[in-house]
Amino acid sequence: MNKRKVTLAAAAAGVITGAAGLSLLAMPAGAGQPPTLPDVSAESLVEQVLTSKPGAFGGTVEVDNKLGLPSIAEIPQLADGKHSARIWTDGNGKFRAALPNGQSEQTIVDDGTTTWSWNSADNEVTKSEHKADQPRPAEDKSESVNPAEAAKQVVGMTKEFSDITVDGTARVANRAAYELVLTPKASEKTLIREVRIAVDSELKMPLRVQVLTNGTSEPAGTVGFSEINVGPQDAKLFEFTPPANAKVTTPEAKEERRGQKPELGIEQALQGKDPQFFGTGWDTVVGARIPAEAMTQVPAEAQGLVDKFTKKVSGAWGSGQIFTTKVATILIADDGRVVAGAVPEQVLFDTIGQVK
Amino acid sequence: MITRQLGSEVRWMLRRPRTLIGLFGLVLVPIVISFGIWTAGEDGGGGPGLSAIIQGNGLVVPIFTLFLSLNLLLPLVASIWAADGLAGEAQHGTLRGLLVAPVSRVRLLFVKLFGLAAMSLFAVTLMAVVGIIAGTAFLGSDGMATLSGTTLSTGEGLVRIALFVVLVTFQMVSVGAVALAVSATTEHPLVVQAATMVTIIVFQVLGQFSSLDWLHPFLITTGFPGLVDVMRDPIPWDQIGDSTLLAGCYLLIGTGLAAIRLVTKDS
Repeated sequence: MNKRKVTLAAAAAGVITGAAGLSLLAMPAGAGQPPTLPDVSAESLVEQVLTSKPGAFGGTVEVDNKLGLPSIAEIPQLADGKHSARIWTDGNGKFRAALPNGQSEQTIVDDGTTTWSWNSADNEVTKSEHKADQPRPAEDKSESVNPAEAAKQVVGMTKEFSDITVDGTARVANRAAYELVLTPKASEKTLIREVRIAVDSELKMPLRVQVLTNGTSEPAGTVGFSEINVGPQDAKLFEFTPPANAKVTTPEAKEERRGQKPELGIEQALQGKDPQFFGTGWDTVVGARIPAEAMTQVPAEAQGLVDKFTKKVSGAWGSGQIFTTKVATILIADDGRVVAGAVPEQVLFDTIGQVK
Repeated sequence: MITRQLGSEVRWMLRRPRTLIGLFGLVLVPIVISFGIWTAGEDGGGGPGLSAIIQGNGLVVPIFTLFLSLNLLLPLVASIWAADGLAGEAQHGTLRGLLVAPVSRVRLLFVKLFGLAAMSLFAVTLMAVVGIIAGTAFLGSDGMATLSGTTLSTGEGLVRIALFVVLVTFQMVSVGAVALAVSATTEHPLVVQAATMVTIIVFQVLGQFSSLDWLHPFLITTGFPGLVDVMRDPIPWDQIGDSTLLAGCYLLIGTGLAAIRLVTKDS
């Protein structure tokens, strides 16, 4: 009889362990105790961030996006919600990013001379060789998922227009980090309340960026490492050979086919020929004029999409459509002028008259 | 002693006509898939997930087949074996003999669980092997192209397939363990199959509602899609680990409940 009780107890313990395990798995991973680090002044930390050279590392980046952006077919990772990407760099310009999208995957490899972009959903590779005098568009895209680079750019552009403080410490991707906080100065007319950057205490490399907007306590956007291993990475990661059955195209050939996709019509429309900049710091406004023929070229479906996400506005400057997210506003006038910035709509109304 | 019991359990399972018919049905799946993709021809390519890269990539067929089957077919097969194991024996009256025999009931349960695991591994391996052969025959193969756009050598590809076989078998056994717990409470095998399949289908339906996302981490079916990470290169282990731990919890719960029921059962 006693043996039976022992068996029952063991079986019950198994059930309870299983149930507890389920609950543990369901719980989000805790952030852990903030580490204790020696004090550091905000100025020296900013200096170290801007001059830091992260070197080789590989890691997983998580993006938590509550910006309220519509999803764009080319970069589904930007749509609202949580997304992750894996990135590797050798610290010398070679780069690899793997962006899972459901059960498909996009891979971008920069082997130093060529940028390969693979999309498993199309079974297609886009190959673009670097030319010395041209910007590298694919790299811009791959860098946008690298929080270290993104944070460096933010700090560089805005440090003169912000109050910078060090607000305690945090543990990010199991590394000790300082929380660097950039608050726009009171004179800046911006939607952004503050930007928090977790800076690795050893490497001085940004590990996480959080953007907080006025009126909310939750970050509107977070980009950060959930896992990182610093050190030399497998050289094979920075090589790419297209699979035997994949189509290989060039960016130019792909561009030609693009016109058929309605979302890209908007994207093209927003990328004016010569962007003009107004103001400085946080309330910089980017302006452009879309040629009249480009405005009429926007396909009907694209127009429908534009209407869905924008609202009609008018004023002394004319009339147009305004597209609002938590961190940025875009104003498209009916005559083809476009202005955008991380500012409230009133600033755009005031600025649009200056667009040439 | 114990090896003889384990051996005879598997022999019994293999001798049942429905087991053989079931295995034959499972083997047809990779053949039909390979044939279908072969007839679809070269214009294929593109599409969600694995189907985009399967053209001319025969070694993906076993993984694609198992990945599809894991949603419904493999749980069904596991539930049939779990149903036969206890409820089926109770229906024929043979379970009473096993319960009154001077053999520990826990050992009886582990023999049944072993039979389930051995047969699951056998079935999944069989599907994978037939998938490799059919995929290579119909679609050809030159290494294995992954979702990440890299091409693995045939040897590395076979290692991936073996890994996937193990992972899928473990999921299947976990579903079977829960079915075994149901099986211990009834003498109608159909009840076991119905209960298991209804649960799997309801879980998958619940998984579709984003308003229920707090519930998703508890559902075993949530772990199924993440196993496709085996086809990424390098393999990200997070989701595979989570899925396997999730299934492990179900295995513990199912085995524990089945043991409690068997030990307290009147013979």
